[in-house]
Amino acid sequence: MLQSGDLAPLFSAPRSEGGDWRLERGRPTLLVFFETDCPTCRLTIPYLNRLAQALDGRAEIVGISQDGAASTVELIDQAPVKFPVMLDRDLSVSREYDPQAVPTLFLIDAAGTIARTSVAFDKAGLNEIAAEMLAAIDIEPFELAGGHDGAPEMKPGCVSRHLEPHQGLRTEADPAPSVNLYAERGPRASRVVLEDGVDPYEFCYEAGFGDPLPVIPPTAERVDRMLGATRLPPDQIVARVPPNYGMATVEKVAANAVMAGCEPGMMRVLIPLIRAACDERFNIHGVQATTHFAAPLVIVNGPVRRDLRFACGGNVFSNVTRANSTLGRAFQLILTNVGGARPGELDMSTLGNPGKFSYCIAENEEESPWAPLHTEFGFDRGQSSVSLFAAEPPHGVSEHNAREGRTILKAISRALATVFSYRFCIGWEALVVLCPEHVKTLDRSGFAKDSIREFLFENTGIPVREYEEDGGEGTQFTQLYQRATINGEDCYRKFARPDQIRIVVAGGTAGKFSAVIGSWATGPRGSQMVCYPVD
Amino acid sequence: MKTILVNPLDETPRAAGRPAPRLGSLAGKTIGLLDISKWGGSFFLDHLEKALKERYGVGQIVRLMKPTFTKPAPGAVIDQFVKAECAAVIEALAD
Repeated sequence: MLQSGDLAPLFSAPRSEGGDWRLERGRPTLLVFFETDCPTCRLTIPYLNRLAQALDGRAEIVGISQDGAASTVELIDQAPVKFPVMLDRDLSVSREYDPQAVPTLFLIDAAGTIARTSVAFDKAGLNEIAAEMLAAIDIEPFELAGGHDGAPEMKPGCVSRHLEPHQGLRTEADPAPSVNLYAERGPRASRVVLEDGVDPYEFCYEAGFGDPLPVIPPTAERVDRMLGATRLPPDQIVARVPPNYGMATVEKVAANAVMAGCEPGMMRVLIPLIRAACDERFNIHGVQATTHFAAPLVIVNGPVRRDLRFACGGNVFSNVTRANSTLGRAFQLILTNVGGARPGELDMSTLGNPGKFSYCIAENEEESPWAPLHTEFGFDRGQSSVSLFAAEPPHGVSEHNAREGRTILKAISRALATVFSYRFCIGWEALVVLCPEHVKTLDRSGFAKDSIREFLFENTGIPVREYEEDGGEGTQFTQLYQRATINGEDCYRKFARPDQIRIVVAGGTAGKFSAVIGSWATGPRGSQMVCYPVD
Repeated sequence: MKTILVNPLDETPRAAGRPAPRLGSLAGKTIGLLDISKWGGSFFLDHLEKALKERYGVGQIVRLMKPTFTKPAPGAVIDQFVKAECAAVIEALAD
């Protein structure tokens, strides 16, 4: 706070009744910083009104309101305030003078130096300021604040607006202050103390901490152990999670990881995963709020699969390992608990997706003769990564009789034709999850990832005759579709480009079952796949 | 010993908002219609526009469209409604 002897910074500010006012040197001025809802400020106003009257226009009292125009004008009428009032809308004047509380009075002399200050309601301070101002303009001083007028000698005020932790929650018609989207640190999570006899598992359920399955209570000790696995401070903001843009601090991530049953080492994957999900390209806002089936599918690549024992073989989509199940679950808990996409609230999916409990696989890189998924995003094979795909549930493709790779791909292309909706083309991607036995046959037939994509692109189409009936999903956009002859039949191509077909190898070494997973709306107008490195 | 839990829910500080005052009547007002760019939206909004004008005496209709239904309306679209001094905006979709 500026003190006696400091040069008073010059400024201009809008008047409550319109126009601008400018602090100038040349005559004594008393600046009074106040808030409209501060009882101590209201107590002080009548004294200042009396002083303003005595000054007779030869020295000035100027109120600096830290609130908006509507509440300030209301106070001026109600109190009433009989000296001019300026609006410090962006609190820039408050920051410059830096009063710690309101009311604070700064008496500025004719030379522009701060001669005296008074904080809170203080009769002695008011009397000294009045005496000094009146003497400066040759008016006989008088006792402004008498000893027995019913008001206390002193009364503490309120914290100055610019020092409030959140300069929000203003009243009335004041414009809502914008949230600081650039802050790197957020508030610490609050603590909940359970009374003796309260079952923590039931408490977590009743408090809405989990999905509907039981969660591990996020005790302070467990969360501390989780936090011990990362070098990041607990209050660091990892991301703001749509659709509510809740702050996912490291501590919030850790608390949800505990609830999901993660080992502490999983923080290494969870932090980049949350960042990836909140990458604008992925558009988690839309993925979470849509009525469609989409749920974010996590795909893990690289050495972290071994480090943290992710499953990439048999039963890869199911209840097979702690790593897959708990990472996917922790991710979903963060999306609902921090992001706000709760079913029936902001998550309005018509049928939902079982993957919203947990939807996480790892690529079976060891059973693949081809470069793994993350290398297509520019990472080295030895780099660990997490990728996200806005995914429908898997659609199985059984093909046990094929002797050639193209026979397998033909079976897959028929499943690809049904992605999103049979006659709806070009707006969707698909993830093809190839099982190791199919991969062996494809490899033997000379197929690699690019030629598989090309084959599937060329051979996936919907016969034009299917569009002859009136109306129906996808029939309204046929002018945008590409025509091609597939198997001797006039067709519309399902995909606009081969790169709309993504390929991952996963699953057990026994069984000839691959899967096709449709996407949500794709491209810059929908959700784009993202891949983030895991250190 | 009492059990202490770390709150895993969203505790982001937010400014309190309040709903805009309700219109007493639509007569003579400028009303915005936001098409979220889903197929069928324009068909639905054509009917809504007709009803607003014929049944409720709406003065002027401002029709705008979001670039994609998958994301919130960009600031530029909202600014156009503000510039047109719409008394209310109806955001509508139709599949």
